[in-house]
Amino acid sequence: MAAAQPYSVSLQGGLDKASTTLELLKTPGTATKLVNFEVSTQGGYRRINGYSQFGDGTRPNSSNDIEGLKVYADGVVACSGTNIYFSLDGDSWLQLNKGSVSGSGDNYSTFTGRTAVTRTSQSKAHFAVFEGDSIYGELIVTDEGSGAKPFYFKMTGTGVLTGRTYFAKEITVSGTHYPKFCVIHDKHLVVAGAATALNTIFYSGTSDIDDFTSSGSGSIVLDDQVVGLKSFRNELFIFCRNSIYKLQNINDASNIAIVPVTKNVGCVDGKTIQEFGGDLIFLAPDGFRTVAGTARIGDIELGVISKKIQPVIDSIMSNVNNLEFSSVVLRKKSQYRCYYSQDGTATGASEGIIGTLTSRGFEWSQIEGIQAAAVTSGFLYNGLEDTFHGDRDGYVYNHDTGNDFNPAGTATNISAIYESPDFDYGDFGTLKTLEYIKISLFPEGACEPSVRTRFDYDSTDRTQPTDASIVASKPSIFGNSDALFGTSIFGAQEQPLVRTTLTGSGFSNLFKIFSDDRKAPYTINGLYVSYRPSGRQG
Amino acid sequence: MATTYLNLTNEVLREINEIQLTSGTFAGAIGIQAFVKEAINRSLFDIANEEPQLPFFAAAASGGTDPFYGNVTVASVAGQRWYTLKSGSSSITTDYSSIDWDDFYLTTINVSGESAPFVSRSLHYLGLTDWRRHLRDSENADDADTQAYGEPRYVLRSPDHRKFGLSPIPDKVYNVHFYAYSTPTALSSHSDAMVLPDQYGPVITAKTRYYVHQFKEQLQQAAFAMDDYKKGMRHMKNNLVNPDPVRMTDDRTYF
Repeated sequence: MAAAQPYSVSLQGGLDKASTTLELLKTPGTATKLVNFEVSTQGGYRRINGYSQFGDGTRPNSSNDIEGLKVYADGVVACSGTNIYFSLDGDSWLQLNKGSVSGSGDNYSTFTGRTAVTRTSQSKAHFAVFEGDSIYGELIVTDEGSGAKPFYFKMTGTGVLTGRTYFAKEITVSGTHYPKFCVIHDKHLVVAGAATALNTIFYSGTSDIDDFTSSGSGSIVLDDQVVGLKSFRNELFIFCRNSIYKLQNINDASNIAIVPVTKNVGCVDGKTIQEFGGDLIFLAPDGFRTVAGTARIGDIELGVISKKIQPVIDSIMSNVNNLEFSSVVLRKKSQYRCYYSQDGTATGASEGIIGTLTSRGFEWSQIEGIQAAAVTSGFLYNGLEDTFHGDRDGYVYNHDTGNDFNPAGTATNISAIYESPDFDYGDFGTLKTLEYIKISLFPEGACEPSVRTRFDYDSTDRTQPTDASIVASKPSIFGNSDALFGTSIFGAQEQPLVRTTLTGSGFSNLFKIFSDDRKAPYTINGLYVSYRPSGRQG
Repeated sequence: MATTYLNLTNEVLREINEIQLTSGTFAGAIGIQAFVKEAINRSLFDIANEEPQLPFFAAAASGGTDPFYGNVTVASVAGQRWYTLKSGSSSITTDYSSIDWDDFYLTTINVSGESAPFVSRSLHYLGLTDWRRHLRDSENADDADTQAYGEPRYVLRSPDHRKFGLSPIPDKVYNVHFYAYSTPTALSSHSDAMVLPDQYGPVITAKTRYYVHQFKEQLQQAAFAMDDYKKGMRHMKNNLVNPDPVRMTDDRTYF
């Protein structure tokens, strides 16, 4: 019998849905399925965290959809129904869309007693924060319903909400134009996309974000309809459906200019635009793209960064008019997440895409089971990054935390799947009999994923083995506050190589590591396989 | 409990680290599992071909008509020379695989209407060449003329191996006892038990491994498996075919 041969694979590259089966033989570290895993910046594929209810699960506005979320001050702002709310803890929500608020601010009791200003036809909300000189900055809210004026809100003071001061009003842009999109750019509030002026952008006076008639204000009419705005460095990028422009020199009336970036590619949905990794990322009809700013002004590079998941993109595009998008950047994970689902889609069937920026570029994975109709990430007043998402049942959740999903407060399993491409071990024509696999794991607690081996592209002409379970215990790491007496295993390896025997033979095989439980996340760093090659028939 | 077809197959599959079958998956086995199943039967036939007179291939238990030797009894008919070895067999594919031609016994004991003194004698095997040369003509002449016939003294084997003949042609009814060995039936169902005692199961699995390793082009392993098979066959034959006690008698007289 031929001597046993070693084969090791370091898992990297993320999801690859576009390469052919033979191309994938050269990139064994990629994945053909990577659902509810994320590419870890520390290497390997990590099962994602779950999400938990924000506070006690009290909904801001009953079962109305969450139309938008924004981390603001030391809490989160939520748009739901025809209202806007703020909460520090998720246990109670303060309605913000109030009218007749004093120009010098209302105290809590006065503010809550004010008459509500209904956000007519409120739909997907967009936010902009002008930090200015106030403690938390000034918040602007627009929405894609285009049925209400931009809403201005500011809060000052610390501690309990009853001790703070509130400022709120609607901003008149021009006549009855109710813009959908807003952004703060170089001391101006820029809005666009009003249903009555789809291709017009309006900008406020300089350092006067609530006045569109003061010095420095103006408007520009474009060729195309605006779907999103994003300020990036000293330029404002205007995303249209079929083109992208940039606004330059907003503070120089004689040189202000709209410069086309491209007239061939547009943005599918403004909710997909995020500044990430020193660039702007957005969803174009042909996939996720970046608008790479370079040191030389005017040198623009457009590039599709999602070629490896093109079939997923194609699937999205085939139904794009029925999908609702949201996106967020998780800075500590170098992640861009884009969620998409159709109105009425069950939470379990809602999907998303994770793009992790690694030293090798963007690497992708998929999410299933998170209905993030709105999602936000930002730094709280205390400097900590916090992430929230909201669903169409009106709940707001702490995003990316815990070991399970919690739709409407019901703990639910996280079904995670990693599936490798077929490994040919260097020679596709040789039959290999597998002996064992060692899986390099980094368990963050007790976890018990299963391993499935499938030979020859899951051929029905081969007997396929049954699944095996691998068990990894929570290591007791000195100095780690998570190490618990009676739970953590003394001496357990931090990153064990979990061995399991294999049976069967084939010319190639894939491994699928999956879990459907509420156990702790784990990272699959790599695989080591021992096999015996034999002849060329089988 | 005798080793079943499933046991044998899984024993080999385990040894080559392949996926084992279950009673549920056995019938629909594919790939290497199906090959192992087939190789088990090939090995069984190899054993039968190499040594067809192993006791577990016997057509029936001996002594069925005690105290006579043999496991098959055929009654002769006055004036009939040739008799089918296996009653009811329609072709050579269903005949006995082997006959002990040195062990034919003829008797009138237990023949209806016979009384003492009985005829009891061994029939000597006579080759067809000698029979044709010395006996055929006279027996045929007798058959065509006086039909005196006689008490058979020789047993003949027909050229197609399907019948035995008696010479002289019997003059009445005799019981002819002999030993016959059946062709092993190919194992089919997962619960089919092999005919070998469990201790000889490794002989089958060794030959199966030989085929499997050849299939996988693992020639050295195939050679090892063949060695195991040969050793197993040798031991099996020593134990089962020639188990006679070794005894010597010295009849020389010393003065």
